[in-house]
Amino acid sequence: MRLGYMFKEAVRALLSRPVTVQSVTKGESVPVPERYRGMIEYDREACIGCLMCGKTCPTGTILNTEAHKVEFRMDRCVFCGACADICPKDAIKMSSKSEIITRDRKQLLVK
Amino acid sequence: MSEPKEIEFEYSRLVVPFGPIHPALKEPVHFKVTVRGEEILDVDLVLGHAHRGIELLAQERNILQNLYLTERICGICSHTHTTCYAQAIEEVKGIQIPERAAYLRALIFELERVHSHLLLLGVMAYEIGYDTLFMQIWNMREAVLDLFEEVTGNRVHHSMNVIGGVRWDLTPVMALRVSRVADGVEDAQRRIRTAFMDRTVKKRLVGVGVMSRADARASCLVGPTARASGLTMDVRKDDPYAAYSELKDDYSVVVSDGMDAMARVDVRVRELAESVNIIRAILGRLPPGEIRLKESPMRAVKVPEGEAVSRVEAPRGELIYYLRTDGNEGLRRLKVRTPSQANFAGIRQMMVGGELADVPVILASIDPCMSCTNRLTVVDEGAGRQMNVGLDELRRRRASTS
Amino acid sequence: MTLAVMFPGVFVLSLLYSGFDRKLHARMQRRVGPPLIQPFYDFVKLMNKERIIPAAASPSVFVTVTALAAASSMLGASVLMTNLVMEASFVGDIMLVMYLVLMTAALTMIGGSSSGNPYGAIGFSRRVGMLLGYEVPMLISLLIVSYRSGLTLSFYDMVAAQSIADVVLAFSPGAALASLVFALCIPAAAGVVPFDIPEAKTEVAYGYLIEYGGPYLGLLKLAKEVTNFTLSLLFFTLFIYAPQSFPVVSAYNEWVNLLFILVGALAVYMVTITLPRTLFARMKLGQALRFYVWVWALSLVSAGLVMVGY
Repeated sequence: MRLGYMFKEAVRALLSRPVTVQSVTKGESVPVPERYRGMIEYDREACIGCLMCGKTCPTGTILNTEAHKVEFRMDRCVFCGACADICPKDAIKMSSKSEIITRDRKQLLVK
Repeated sequence: MSEPKEIEFEYSRLVVPFGPIHPALKEPVHFKVTVRGEEILDVDLVLGHAHRGIELLAQERNILQNLYLTERICGICSHTHTTCYAQAIEEVKGIQIPERAAYLRALIFELERVHSHLLLLGVMAYEIGYDTLFMQIWNMREAVLDLFEEVTGNRVHHSMNVIGGVRWDLTPVMALRVSRVADGVEDAQRRIRTAFMDRTVKKRLVGVGVMSRADARASCLVGPTARASGLTMDVRKDDPYAAYSELKDDYSVVVSDGMDAMARVDVRVRELAESVNIIRAILGRLPPGEIRLKESPMRAVKVPEGEAVSRVEAPRGELIYYLRTDGNEGLRRLKVRTPSQANFAGIRQMMVGGELADVPVILASIDPCMSCTNRLTVVDEGAGRQMNVGLDELRRRRASTS
Repeated sequence: MTLAVMFPGVFVLSLLYSGFDRKLHARMQRRVGPPLIQPFYDFVKLMNKERIIPAAASPSVFVTVTALAAASSMLGASVLMTNLVMEASFVGDIMLVMYLVLMTAALTMIGGSSSGNPYGAIGFSRRVGMLLGYEVPMLISLLIVSYRSGLTLSFYDMVAAQSIADVVLAFSPGAALASLVFALCIPAAAGVVPFDIPEAKTEVAYGYLIEYGGPYLGLLKLAKEVTNFTLSLLFFTLFIYAPQSFPVVSAYNEWVNLLFILVGALAVYMVTITLPRTLFARMKLGQALRFYVWVWALSLVSAGLVMVGY
C-alpha cells in the first residue's frame, strides 16, 4: 500500500535529527568548503595594477582609484570570481566569509 | 481590477487573474483565465514582469563579462547558458577545448539536470498540496547542491566555464563524492517514483493538460515536455556537443506516450536515472590533461569578427544562442531562445477545457523558468492593442531618454 | 457566567493545540519547526497590523463577519468545556455546538464572497460543495450517539451514558462505524489537506482568506483553530472517553480527569488533522465529493445497524 510508504518516511523523519539548523536563535552554522567564493581579500602589495580584473568584472565592482591599485565595492559584487581567476599575481582571493551583511556601506569597501 | 462580466444563461464568466503574485507561481507571470464555474474557457498570457534587457546589456560588455551575464539569466540552468555561450565564442575563435574540459563540462551539465529535475518534482508535489513530498525531494536535492559548492564554490551560478575550458578541476576526493552523490540520486529516483505512484497524486496528474503528438509538433514544444508527447528530440543525441559525442552509448533518450502531466513527470523521473548513467560513465572515463587552454588574458578577450549559432539541451529543452562579434572585444548582437519560451506556446491548448484546480499543475508540468522567458509587451489599453517590443525599439527609446 | 470565563481558557488551549500541530508537522518533514507558542506570537502580531479593506468589498459585511466567526467558534468550544468542567448541561446543547461550528464555516464563506475578489467567490462556491459532503454525515453520527445514550440531546448525558453503560461507545459495531464516519469528516470540517479545497494555497490563493489581513486575518485564523479544537474534543469525549474504561484516572479528582480528556483530544487532533495534512495530497472538488458519497453510505449503514440494536 503506497500510503504506507509516506507514513514510514514520516516516522523515520520524526526519529532522526532535523536537517535544518537554527542559525538565528541559536547561532548554529554549517561549515563552508574550501573553494567557497565569499568576501574578497585583496593583497595590495602584490597587485601590479594591470587592471585586468576591472576589465573582466561583469558588474563594475572594481574601480581604479589610485595609480596601479584598485578597490572593490562589494555591494555590487556577484561573487563570480572572475577577478580572482584572471589576476596574474594572485593578489585577489575569495575567502570563506559569507556573512557580510551590514548597515554601513563603507564596510563593504575593500581596499 | 473589476472585469466586466458577461451573463450567459445561468452562469456568468469570471476572469480570474493568475499572478503575477500567486502562491502557485515561483516567478512572476500573468495569466488571465476565463472560467465558468470550475471549467476553463480561455487563457491569455502576459509575460515580461521580470524583463531585464539582457540582450541589450550584452552589447555593452566585452566577451569575458558576458560569460557571467549569461550565467545569471537563470539560476537553475545557469551552466547550460554559459556552456552555450562559451561554445559559440569558441566556434567564432576557432579554438578547441581540451578533452578533460569537455568531460567536466558534461559532468556539471548532467548534475545540473539532476538538480533541476528534482526541483521541478518538488514544485509539482507542492502544487498538488503534498508538502511533505516537496520537503523530502528538496532534501535529496541538497546533496547535489552541496556537491556543487564543494567542486565549484557556489550552489547555483557555478562559474565553471571559461572561454577555452573549465575553471575548476576534479580532485580524486571530489570524484569519490560525485559517485556517492550519484548513488544517492539513483536511490532518490526510486523513492520518488514510489511516491508519485500514490493514488491521491495520480488522481491529480493523470489526464491533465493533454497535448497530442501532432499538436506538440505544431506548437514547437521542446525538451521533456515534447518527449512526453511522443516526440523523440534530444540535442545531446541529434547534435552532440561537449563530450556527448563520445558518451552516446551510455544513455538513452526517455520518451513517453502519456501526453499528459503524469507523463511529463514520469519522463523527468526517468531522466534522473539516465543522468546517473552518464555521470558514472564520465567518472569512469575522465581523461587526464589540462582543463583550459593557456592563453594570456589580454589575448583571450579579443575575438575576430564572426557569428555563431550554438545549441545545447538544457533541462527544460533546447537552448539556442546566436551571437555576432564585432571584431574588437564585444558583441554586436546576442540572441537567446530559451526552451521555456517555446513551451509556453502550448499552455493555452493544455489548459482550455480543464478545471481551475489544474492550472498550477499544468503550469508546473511544463517546468516554466520565467527568468528565461521574458519578452517585453506593451499593452495600449486606450487603443486596445498589444505589441511586442523588439530590440531596435528598446534602443530607440533608451537613446531618447538618456 | 462560567461560559464567559471559559473564553480565555478556550483561546489558550486552541492556540496551544495548533502549536503542537505545526511542530509535529515540521518534525515529520525533518524540519525544526516553530516553537509551541508560535500561534500566540502570530495572533499578537496580526492584531497590531494595519486594517485594510479592499475597495471592491462591502465594508460592513467584510468586517463583522470576522468578529462573528471568532465569537461563534469560541462560544461553541466554551459550551463544551463548561459542560465538562461543571458536569452539567442542558437539553439540545449538542445541537447548539454543531450549529455554531456550521455557522463559523458559513460566516467565513460569506466573508470570502464579500471581499470582491474572484478568488473569494471561487472559495465560496467550493466551500458550499464541501459542506454538502461532510455536514450531514457528521450530524447522522452524532444522532447515532444520542440514540445509543437513550435518545438524549444533552451533551453531558451522552458522556455520562458511556460511564454507566460501562462500554466505550466506539466499541460496538454500529457506533464504531459512526465514529469512523465522524473521523473522516473532521479533516473536511477543519479545512486541512486532503480536503482543504476551499482554501487551497496554490489553486485559489487561500480562497476566502485572500483579502483579509491584519486583525481580520487574526480573528479568522483564531476561528479556524478553535473549530479544530472543538471537533477533536467532541470526537474524543463522545466516542472514545468513558471513565469506567480508564479506572486509574477516574479514581483521582475531576481536574486530573479533565487533563486526561484534554490530552486525549490532543491525540485525536494529531491523528485526524495533523497526520492527513502531512501524508496526503490535495483532492479536486469532484474527487472529494465522490469520496464523501461513500462516507454518506457508511453513515446510513451505521444508522441502520444501530436501529436494529447492534
